[in-house]
Amino acid sequence: MSLRAATGAVFRREMQLFARRKSDWANPIVFFLIVCSLFPFAVGSESEKLKLIGIGVIFVGALLASMLSLPRLFEEDARDGSLELMLASSEPLAVLILARITALSLGLGAALTVATPVFALFYALPFDVAGMLALSVALAVPTLLLIGAIAAALLVSARGGAILTAVLVLPLTIPTLIFGAGAALRVLNGQSPVAELALQGAFLLLALALCPLAAAAALKISTD
Amino acid sequence: MARTEQQSNDKFAGRWFWRYAAPAAFYPLAGKIEKIGWVLAVVLAAIGLYMGFFVAPTDATQGEVYRVIFIHVPAAWMTMVIYLAMAFWAGTGLVLGTRLSFMMSHALAPTGAIMAVVALWTGSLWGRPTWGTYWVWDARITSTLILFFLYVGYMALSAAFDDKKKGDRASALIALVGAINVPIIYFSVKWWTTLHQGSSVRPGSSSMATTMLWAMLIMTFAFWAYCVAAAMHRLRTQIIEREAGAAWLDGATK
Repeated sequence: MSLRAATGAVFRREMQLFARRKSDWANPIVFFLIVCSLFPFAVGSESEKLKLIGIGVIFVGALLASMLSLPRLFEEDARDGSLELMLASSEPLAVLILARITALSLGLGAALTVATPVFALFYALPFDVAGMLALSVALAVPTLLLIGAIAAALLVSARGGAILTAVLVLPLTIPTLIFGAGAALRVLNGQSPVAELALQGAFLLLALALCPLAAAAALKISTD
Repeated sequence: MARTEQQSNDKFAGRWFWRYAAPAAFYPLAGKIEKIGWVLAVVLAAIGLYMGFFVAPTDATQGEVYRVIFIHVPAAWMTMVIYLAMAFWAGTGLVLGTRLSFMMSHALAPTGAIMAVVALWTGSLWGRPTWGTYWVWDARITSTLILFFLYVGYMALSAAFDDKKKGDRASALIALVGAINVPIIYFSVKWWTTLHQGSSVRPGSSSMATTMLWAMLIMTFAFWAYCVAAAMHRLRTQIIEREAGAAWLDGATK
C-alpha cells in the first residue's frame, strides 16, 4: 500500500466514524454549551459584565471541549486493536497520526467553530467580535489537538487518564490561549487583530511540523 | 546484574567519564558529591545570609523589605537552571538509553518544583509591601508558575506507569516538549503583559551595591550547592530502590 493510500484510508475511516457516531461531536458541543452557560450564574447577568468575560470564557470552553476529545485519538483504537495495525504498518507513523489529527480537527474544529458565534450571543458580544472569535477557535483547535496528541499518545498505557492529560496539555496551550482570545479582544477594542492571527498561524505551523513526530515517538514509547 | 555492570565497566575502561554512566560506579561518587554539596551549602548560606541581612545596606526606596531578594532571586534562577538540566538528562537518556540519566532527571524534578514554590512564595511576600498585592499576572511570575506546572506534569507522568522504564522514557519526552515550549510560553506571556521591575543584575553594568551583589552571588552558590546535594541524595535513594538485589549494592550500602 502506498503512503497516499494508507493516509487516505486512515483519514476516511476517521471521518466515517465521526459521521456515524454522533456522540463524538455532539458531546463536546453540549459540554461547550454547558460550560459557557455556567459563568453567568456565577458572575451575574449584567450584559456589561458578561461582555468583559465572554471572550475568555468561550475560548477556554472550546479549549476544554477539544481536550476532552483527545482520548478519542488513540485510546479506543488501542482497545479495539486498530492501533496495532497502524503501528505495524510500513508507512511512517507520524504521517498516519497527522492524517488522524487532520480528520479530527476538521470534524471537531468545524463543530466548535460553528457553535462559537452562537454562544457569543449569550455574552452580548457584537457580530464582528463573534466572527473573529470563531476564526480564532478554528485556528486554535488544530494546534491544541496537535499538542494534545503527544500527551494522548503517552497516556495510552498509563494510569490517570483525563486529569493527567489536562495537567500535561493545558500549560502548553497558554500561548494559543493568549493570542486566540487576544485577537477577539483587539476587535472588541476596535483595533486590528492581524498580529495575533499571524502568531496563531505561526504556532499552528510549528505544531504541524513538530507534534506529529513527537506523537509518533510517544506512541512507540507507550506501546513498547 | 552485577556481571553486566562489570562488563560495561570493562568495555568503557580508559574512558573514565562513561564509566560513571553505570549506577554501580556512580553511587559512591554521588555520595562524595552529596557530602561536599551539603558542607558548601551550609557554609555559603551562613556567609551569604550574614552579608545579606547585616552587612548589605538598606535599600533607598524599598527599605529592609528588599532583603528577601537574597532568597527569591537564587530560587528563581535555580527553577530555570534545574529545568534545563532535567531536560538535558532526559534527552541524554532517550538518545543513549542510559538508565542513570533518567534517574538523574527524576532526582532533579522535585528540587526544581520546590525552588519554583520558594520563588513564587517569597515573591508574593515581597510583592505585598512593594506593589501592594500578593500576586501580579506579570510575565516572569506567570512563567515561573507555568514552569511549576511543567515540573508537576513531569512528575505525575513518570509516576503514572507501572512499568518504570516506560515511565522514564515517557516523562523524558514530555520534559523535552516542555523545554521547547518554555521560551515560546515566556515570550507569549511577556507580550501579554509586563510590570516586573527590570533585571537588576547584568554583566558589566549593575545597579546594585557591591555588598548586595556579593551576598546574592554567594546565596546563589549556596542554593546551587543545596540543589546538587539534594539531587544526589535522591539519586542515591533511587539507585538503591531500582537496583535492589544487585550484588554490588550489598557491599556499597554496608
